[in-house]
Amino acid sequence: MSLKVCHLSELTPGEGLRIESVSPPIAVFLTEEGTVHAIDDTCTHQDASLAAGWVEDCKVECPLHESSFCLLTGEVDQPPAKQKVRVHTVEVRGDDVLVELSQEAPNLPPGVSVS
Amino acid sequence: MIIDSLDAPLPGSSLLPTPGGDVYTDPETFRLEQQNIFETMWNCVLRVDSLASAGQWKRVTVGREELIVVRTRKAGIQAYYNVCRHRGMRVCTTDEGKSRTLKCGYHAWTYALEGELVAAPNLTSMPDVDRQEYGLKPVHVREWLGYVWVCLADEPPSFEETVLGEVRTRFGEVQSIDNYGIENLKLGESKTYEVEANWKLIIENFMECYHCATIHPELTEVIPEFADGLASQRKNGEIHGASFGSDIEGFTVDGSSGVAELPAIAPGQERKYYAITVKPQMFINTVPDHVIIHRMFPQSESKTIVVCDWLFLPEVVEQDMDISKSVELFHRVNQQDFEACELTQPSMSSKAYTRGGALVPSEHHIEEFHQWWHETMGYRQQPAATDSPVKASADAVIAEQ
Repeated sequence: MSLKVCHLSELTPGEGLRIESVSPPIAVFLTEEGTVHAIDDTCTHQDASLAAGWVEDCKVECPLHESSFCLLTGEVDQPPAKQKVRVHTVEVRGDDVLVELSQEAPNLPPGVSVS
Repeated sequence: MIIDSLDAPLPGSSLLPTPGGDVYTDPETFRLEQQNIFETMWNCVLRVDSLASAGQWKRVTVGREELIVVRTRKAGIQAYYNVCRHRGMRVCTTDEGKSRTLKCGYHAWTYALEGELVAAPNLTSMPDVDRQEYGLKPVHVREWLGYVWVCLADEPPSFEETVLGEVRTRFGEVQSIDNYGIENLKLGESKTYEVEANWKLIIENFMECYHCATIHPELTEVIPEFADGLASQRKNGEIHGASFGSDIEGFTVDGSSGVAELPAIAPGQERKYYAITVKPQMFINTVPDHVIIHRMFPQSESKTIVVCDWLFLPEVVEQDMDISKSVELFHRVNQQDFEACELTQPSMSSKAYTRGGALVPSEHHIEEFHQWWHETMGYRQQPAATDSPVKASADAVIAEQ
């Protein structure tokens, strides 16, 4: 089931938007190339919002430490994070960004749990 | 007392007194200068083009404070105290770098280039933390002449009045400093001098040319009129265009021709040297084909770092034209001046200089600097306790003007 999470017009190229209406929160990114992606917002290493990270080459670098996550696969490139984030399916319909949440179990960092 | 009165030149005499030696050596005086002068006024700190792309930052020290000056993505060049708002660790720990964010290495509090707090461990569970309020503390920033200027005061003095107005007024409308197009020039050479002398000795040296014929043989060859002891800087803040000698082709170490002339200078500026002090820490020197900028960074009461930039037309720098003879002339002047200042500094604490020295008529305008210093330091009134009759005399002269 797809959820409408935000408007396309709310997104800034090269930046992420944290969506807290779902748990755990997700991050929606509009890349400089114009593609839209959604992944879990919380870094798998420590509680940090990936939406505040640096987006480049379809990857987002966690703002706290140097791990980058692929926006297409969720895979992490280097420590300190070791586990991938979940990737959610995105559909853009007009100005609406629709997301179908992954059914996998999220890889949340120590101290963070699903509310 | 008879000796005292001989030591203290009377108003109207040839010699005017200088401040006593202690103001050049006293750490408490230096602390007050940092507080009342350098942390209050506009300081010229960096070349704008040294921060060419977003994310590039440099560390600078102004007064007692360390700052980060950074080119942001969205807000041009900004400057912040280099102090993490969390527990205070230095955020930037090297002199320069390029990064996507400014991150403290202690608890990973992470700031956008634009200053606001963007990330920290567990920050999402602290929604009451205001990202702006806990952003890096900014300082005021301006750009002029291709340089970044910063002011640490909460309410800075008007840049238009205290910097732009003063420089433009002193250059005059016809001999306008704007003619040199300094903001469009490129850096041909930069040299850094660590000078073991109080910053005021360097300013006083730069303001007068009574020393020129003695310690600047090359400069006096190029500008023979400097042998009369009169500098480009004169009374009432006026500046005088000092003429090149008749057989001199350019402002170079051997008087040979320089490089391409700056295109918009006035006819009167074509064979002349102008100099100006922009208080508290910048000197501007102009000649027909280049501009020399000094920035001073006082480190202590007896140490000052001086950075000297030689600026030329972009094509001169880009085509790698030979500027070595131009650079060598003022490099020698710098070395000669700073050696004199370094040989003066130790005497400032001598018993023989307790009451200070003297200014000859061609140096009398330095008293305007001393008067400004007294006022800015809040010493307009006679300090309560003094054992220096000459200092008292100097203050009396100032008070009469």
